[in-house]
Amino acid sequence: MTQETTAAARIRQALYWLTPPLVLLAVHWWCFQSWFRADDFAWLGLVNTVHSFPDLLRALFSPAAQGTIRPWSERGFFMLGMVVFGLDSLPYRILIFATAFADLALVAAIGRRLSGRPAAGFWAATFWAVNSTSTEPLGWACVYNEVMCALFLLLAFYCLLRHIETGRAGWYGLQWVVFLLGFGALELNLVYPFIAAAYTALCARKYLVRTLVMAPASLVYFVIHNAVAAPPHSGDYAMHYGGPMLHSLSVFWSWSLGPTYMETPLALTKSELRAGVAILSLALAVFLWRKIRERRYAAVFTVAWYLIVIAPVLPLSRHLTEYYPYIPAIGLCWLGGWAFAEAWRAHAAWRGVATVLAAVYGVMVLPQTVVAGEWNYDLTERSRHLVEGLAGAHERHPGKGIMLFGVDAPLFWNAIRDRSYQLVGIQHLYLTPGSEKLSGTDPSWAGVDDFAMAGAIAIRALQRDEIEVYDVRGPRLRNITSLAAAMPFDRSLPRRINPGDPLAADLLGPEWYPIDVDHRWMPRRATLKIGGPEHSGEHLYLHGYCTDEQLRGGPFTVTAAAAGVPLPPATVTSGEFELLFPLPDSAVGKPEMPVVIEVSRTAKPVGDPRALGLAFGEISVK
Amino acid sequence: MRRSHLEIVITLSLALAPLSCKRAKTVHVEQTEEEGPRLASVVHLSDPKIEPQLVNGFYGIEGNAWRWTAKTFVVVLRVPAGANQRGATLDLAFTVPNVVVEKLKTVTLSAVADGHPVPPETYSQDGQFDYKRDIAPGSLPNNSVRIEFQLDKAMPPANGDLRELGVIVRSIGLEAK
Repeated sequence: MTQETTAAARIRQALYWLTPPLVLLAVHWWCFQSWFRADDFAWLGLVNTVHSFPDLLRALFSPAAQGTIRPWSERGFFMLGMVVFGLDSLPYRILIFATAFADLALVAAIGRRLSGRPAAGFWAATFWAVNSTSTEPLGWACVYNEVMCALFLLLAFYCLLRHIETGRAGWYGLQWVVFLLGFGALELNLVYPFIAAAYTALCARKYLVRTLVMAPASLVYFVIHNAVAAPPHSGDYAMHYGGPMLHSLSVFWSWSLGPTYMETPLALTKSELRAGVAILSLALAVFLWRKIRERRYAAVFTVAWYLIVIAPVLPLSRHLTEYYPYIPAIGLCWLGGWAFAEAWRAHAAWRGVATVLAAVYGVMVLPQTVVAGEWNYDLTERSRHLVEGLAGAHERHPGKGIMLFGVDAPLFWNAIRDRSYQLVGIQHLYLTPGSEKLSGTDPSWAGVDDFAMAGAIAIRALQRDEIEVYDVRGPRLRNITSLAAAMPFDRSLPRRINPGDPLAADLLGPEWYPIDVDHRWMPRRATLKIGGPEHSGEHLYLHGYCTDEQLRGGPFTVTAAAAGVPLPPATVTSGEFELLFPLPDSAVGKPEMPVVIEVSRTAKPVGDPRALGLAFGEISVK
Repeated sequence: MRRSHLEIVITLSLALAPLSCKRAKTVHVEQTEEEGPRLASVVHLSDPKIEPQLVNGFYGIEGNAWRWTAKTFVVVLRVPAGANQRGATLDLAFTVPNVVVEKLKTVTLSAVADGHPVPPETYSQDGQFDYKRDIAPGSLPNNSVRIEFQLDKAMPPANGDLRELGVIVRSIGLEAK
């Protein structure tokens, strides 16, 4: 009998810890099978920039994408993954889900401690596992930072709870270590001292000071981070304080209790979804009020967790992203799990109410979570087919350029924009002439100008058998080079040239040096041909680099002439520069505009016999 | 000293690993279809493989047989052998649906083949039609010809359909005389 009881207890324990991860895996099965897309490729390609130890440090710690510095969850994760596993997504997924399982275990462990009820922890973890905000953190590899940040925040807080329970200094020290390491996962980690302070202020007052001493670490991080990566003041990531923050909070709140974007595959209107969110909010408020009256202030802490963790993203009112409430929602899941567990210990009427409320939550979030996961999976599959098809095309036609026909906006955004093709050895990828006209028609086409091949270059490259053209619309890439060769492309010259592109060589004069990997140096003076401006007031734009040796003598001058007209000189003051030269009206409408560029100073780096002028990434008319 | 060894190991591991781990093994390579189609002189709009020849103004395949057009629609066709010497016949097989006649009363179709205007025709009844026109000898000196069809009117977007609708096309062809 005792043995049976022990066995039953063990099974119950196993189910307690295993059920939430199994629910997570079942609900997010599409995410588990997903490949890579969009920003993932930029991070996967980062390893190719590492050639020395300083390169490694730069790759790990220099601010990138919106000034973020996330060495563990992004740079290290992708660089190590690419080196060890390449583009096999399964190991990445296993690591992401393993981290999520650990998160769930911590949510359950903390939930039972906050409420004093094991069932509350179980239900909190289960509610969080199905939350709509979890789709992208689990299905899009570049959002792994959220999953990892949750681990650091939860683990640090768990250490604090254990320290308070046991009085052992080791837990307190471990909390510090986890907290400090958490800065390598996500900037959001800086909220931890406020979480810890909120808990101790509400539930363990004598530990408050020990938590407040962590705040200077967050302050130092904040100051340093802002110094090396100032937050943008314009664009989607600009911060908007005041009224817009309340709007952000109301949106994130509804996504935390209901489906993200208040969308569902079920036949439910937005009003019905809003009503569902309102009912759940009211139920949580009533439960919270009861706990406050019982002086169970841990319930207040769950709401404090939500508000503290969501606070840093509230000013991003023009960039409301579905996964921002992913970690804050843990607080509401603790409160909901607690309420559900208590209701089940009360009489039948409360059980019924709790079951209906849980069902409302499930009906609102589950279908959307599954459908969003499938949507994400489909996008990654399209990316996979394209990238693996490009690998096949490159293997079959090494050394040739590849131009794609039939790319649509989602495929461009998810599989091309972040240069996935470079991961399979293709340096340059082109879209058919005319693709540049798609710029501005859909935000997903942003950057398409970098890829659209000019008609004149396409005609010449096809005549010389330098490119292969593939139709991407089918299940496999289909070679349509002979068909493309017969197409009457517009013969105008490009208005944008990358001198490092071998197919642009015909547009450059004989003075230019050969290509160095992906760029090309000019000597003191160089010439080129480019399409003339379409309108009066356009400029010749030069984006390039010079050597440190050139700058040792101070700033130097760049002069240019277009269509035979000298342009006002410009000055180069830094290693990477952008220069704008106003173009003469006489050049407007010219299909071909000769350009001369000259620098006042060249340099000969050690071991290089060439007199180097400038290297260019882009020369364009705009 | 220990630190510098560590630095070298980490750097070499990360810097050399991409070279030594042979990308081909870490990337699954999907075979491509290399039997590419040639430019056709007759395109059936039910065939998705001819889509690269439909430059603009055509919507997706419907009923496995036809496509709606916009007010202007452009196609590229291969010039058949001998067509430049003897001339050719341009044939657009299309339907004027009842809804177009009801709303627009008449539609006039014209075309331009590589800059050479082709005489227009006006349709005031619904039904299936062939817009057949002769292309004069010497007008098709290249391997391909770009033909721009133009309707004088089209139905504007309505009832949730964001498309501008012209006529329904089944095939477009160019035959040498």
